[in-house]
Amino acid sequence: MMQDYLFFAGINILLAWSVYIILMSGSLSFANGGFMAVGAYASGLMTTRYGWDLWLAIPASAALAGLFGALISLPALRTRGVYLILVTIGVSFCMVVAIESTELLGGVQGLGGLVGTEPWHVGALVLAVGACLWLVSYTPLQRILDAVREDEHVAGALGVNATYVKVVTFGVGAALAAAAGALYGHYLIFIRPEHFNIMISLFMVLYVILGGVNNLWGAALGAALMTLVPEFIRVLAEWRPTVFGVLIVLLLLVRPEGILAFRTVTARAGKRIRKEGAP
Amino acid sequence: MNATLKIDAVSKRFGGITALDGVSFEVAHGELLGLIGPNGAGKSVLVNVVSGFYPATAGAITFDGRAMTHLPTHQFGRSGIARTFQNIRLFRRMSVLENVLVAFPEHVRSPFLSLLRSRRGAEIDRAMALLARMRLADKADLSAASLPYGEARRLEIARALATNPKLLLLDEPAAGMNDRETEELREDIAGLRADLDAIVLIEHNVEFLRGLADRLVVLDYGRKIAEGLPDDVLREPRVVEAYLGADDE
Repeated sequence: MMQDYLFFAGINILLAWSVYIILMSGSLSFANGGFMAVGAYASGLMTTRYGWDLWLAIPASAALAGLFGALISLPALRTRGVYLILVTIGVSFCMVVAIESTELLGGVQGLGGLVGTEPWHVGALVLAVGACLWLVSYTPLQRILDAVREDEHVAGALGVNATYVKVVTFGVGAALAAAAGALYGHYLIFIRPEHFNIMISLFMVLYVILGGVNNLWGAALGAALMTLVPEFIRVLAEWRPTVFGVLIVLLLLVRPEGILAFRTVTARAGKRIRKEGAP
Repeated sequence: MNATLKIDAVSKRFGGITALDGVSFEVAHGELLGLIGPNGAGKSVLVNVVSGFYPATAGAITFDGRAMTHLPTHQFGRSGIARTFQNIRLFRRMSVLENVLVAFPEHVRSPFLSLLRSRRGAEIDRAMALLARMRLADKADLSAASLPYGEARRLEIARALATNPKLLLLDEPAAGMNDRETEELREDIAGLRADLDAIVLIEHNVEFLRGLADRLVVLDYGRKIAEGLPDDVLREPRVVEAYLGADDE
């Protein structure tokens, strides 16, 4: 059982990062459950129907979902703020309906026979993605993403093509959600459309908002806490969701920017500040 | 005239309101042009059109021989037009140093390739040199949000310079500064002329431009009402009536 918890915590950390990556350029995506479904179903078809190796199916389905995410973001990014959120919620709903009505994917019955994921695979991907995000957080790319997120018009005046930056982050976030979805599907053995409904997308966003929207650690912490804590308050039986909901509200009241609110400074002048210049 | 920026019959309408009405003038290579006019004359709207923030409703903008009128904002930035903002728009969540680093053109043009070709130490040195010119070197590691008004305006200039521009548009850079800060800023702007092809300086305060600007363009109610050498322009009855008469000290 403990192994399952850790596995789902790892998957949820990856999903939280997939939301965080898109948020890095300023868009809040509720479509990542849909991208996760693309990954799970596409890789599931590849392995069960066409006999592909899982390690080929995961990157292939991630690339497919990345392309899909970038394509969706092109029209979606013409909207802003709450409207963009509504568009991405729409994508999530459409995805579930599309799978339910596609016979090739098993429809409402689901798709079975997906095997091959070990918990350590997820752990390895968490470490790899975390390391990438950590390295990026000290680069010019991080600064440009922060600039687009804070004021895309000013970023544009400096010469940044904000639309391009957002489309790429949408694609990368979608690809990561799909990779997590592929691993998830091949652990569950049997996947159904409701595994990828709007609640999944909602939870991913909640992990990030609860943990902290400004750095990679917040998203990971939020996902880990929200996956593992409910298991430890099981004694509360049917009151569990209520207590959990109250905890979330309390936390957001106390720390509206999330548990870990800090932003990593990408570069410091440090010793280059000449002493005689200092006040 | 050998012009770097040509503004040809540019109009800007917001719904039924005409903010700019057929404004034409040119900015010559090496020139520091002052753009003056009373509040609401359309100075900031003009800067927003020339920097690609607002598309012009009519007319044409040519910069260095390139037709800019219908290009997206980032193409204005990339072709060498940099600007500051009347209502300061720094990246407040970043440090002072990062506000300059973020604007370096090689990374702005290809943000994702920056992962491969960033030269961290050299870039910080470059940014520190720009900050030093704007007298901000000792503030490099502070949060941009913590800067007082005058220094925030200077940081906007440093950030604009980091894009390596040919044309710099300064939108009321001295607004809110005290006398000493204003005088320092005047000196520093004069010192920038050697590195820039041209500067357009929007200013409400005529005294700030006297002795600094080569020529003045005067706007009133979205129209150009005068253009020429500062002393001549400031003597013109229309200018005195529209501007100085209403705002004489």
